[in-house]
Amino acid sequence: MRSTSDKIFWALLALTALSFFVLIAFVFLRAPTAQLPAGGIAQKIFYFHVPAAYALYVCGTVGFFGAAAYLVRPTEKRDAWARAGVECAVVFGLMVLTSGPLWAKKAWGVYWTWDPRLTTLMLNVLLYGAVMILRAFAGAGDAERRFAAAFTVLGTLLLPVIHYAVKLWGGIHPTVVTQGGGGLQHPDMKMALGLGFLAMTFLAAVLLWWRARLAHAQSRLLAVEEIAAARGLGVAS
Amino acid sequence: MSAQPTTSQDPAARSQQFVPVEGNAETTSAEALLVAAYLVMWALLIAFIGFGWRRQSRVEARLAEIEKAVGASGEARRS
Repeated sequence: MRSTSDKIFWALLALTALSFFVLIAFVFLRAPTAQLPAGGIAQKIFYFHVPAAYALYVCGTVGFFGAAAYLVRPTEKRDAWARAGVECAVVFGLMVLTSGPLWAKKAWGVYWTWDPRLTTLMLNVLLYGAVMILRAFAGAGDAERRFAAAFTVLGTLLLPVIHYAVKLWGGIHPTVVTQGGGGLQHPDMKMALGLGFLAMTFLAAVLLWWRARLAHAQSRLLAVEEIAAARGLGVAS
Repeated sequence: MSAQPTTSQDPAARSQQFVPVEGNAETTSAEALLVAAYLVMWALLIAFIGFGWRRQSRVEARLAEIEKAVGASGEARRS
């Protein structure tokens, strides 16, 4: 029989699938094509690109709180949330870093430019990637976890810099929605972006929850393996 | 040294020099870029879920193995 948390998880998963179905249909069938200098039909990448960046912020923030809490008082659950936050942030970061250049090719004429926002975002994803590599290869001892947690806190402190990079240092990254931009000039464009945020919020919640449970299960497994080995049960991995 | 003016109609110029131009229209297909972006995003998500799924399967298999060992050890003590 399934527990209440399992039921909530499956309900959230169903909501995520439904919201993505509605989002894709709306973006491709209803949202109008933008002007050519903005990329024409390639501008529709925007409705996934920006919400993915927002999901990166959400996951990074969850990782930050998990890591900071672990540094204050280490527990398996806190470490699991820190780990989940970083892993999900890397996935959303890679989504942003791959979809952005494909749109930029049409709008700017180049795949990549060392714009402040692009550069700081890439630095952030690389930092989180370093945390993942550290956790994968440096063992699961308390010292390694603390080191990874400290790196996660540092990486997340970069998030506000990414957000305000355009304001701080200029650059060519669009500021359509924020910092005095002209905004989306059609109600369906606004609706599409809203749906994108909603779908990515559900997706981030599902992925975070799943990965935190998995990370927690892995930690518990390690502890059980140690106990079993100490009792001479012959379950060496 | 003075450069001779050339035109794009001059076949020799097309193969002997390249002149940068400003404001050249981007010719990459917007549809192709859009499809590529969506495919890459979905591929990343599916890969992440796939790797996680595999890791979860390994954890479950290992737990079953330990449970079995613990059960066998308990039976051995009772008998």
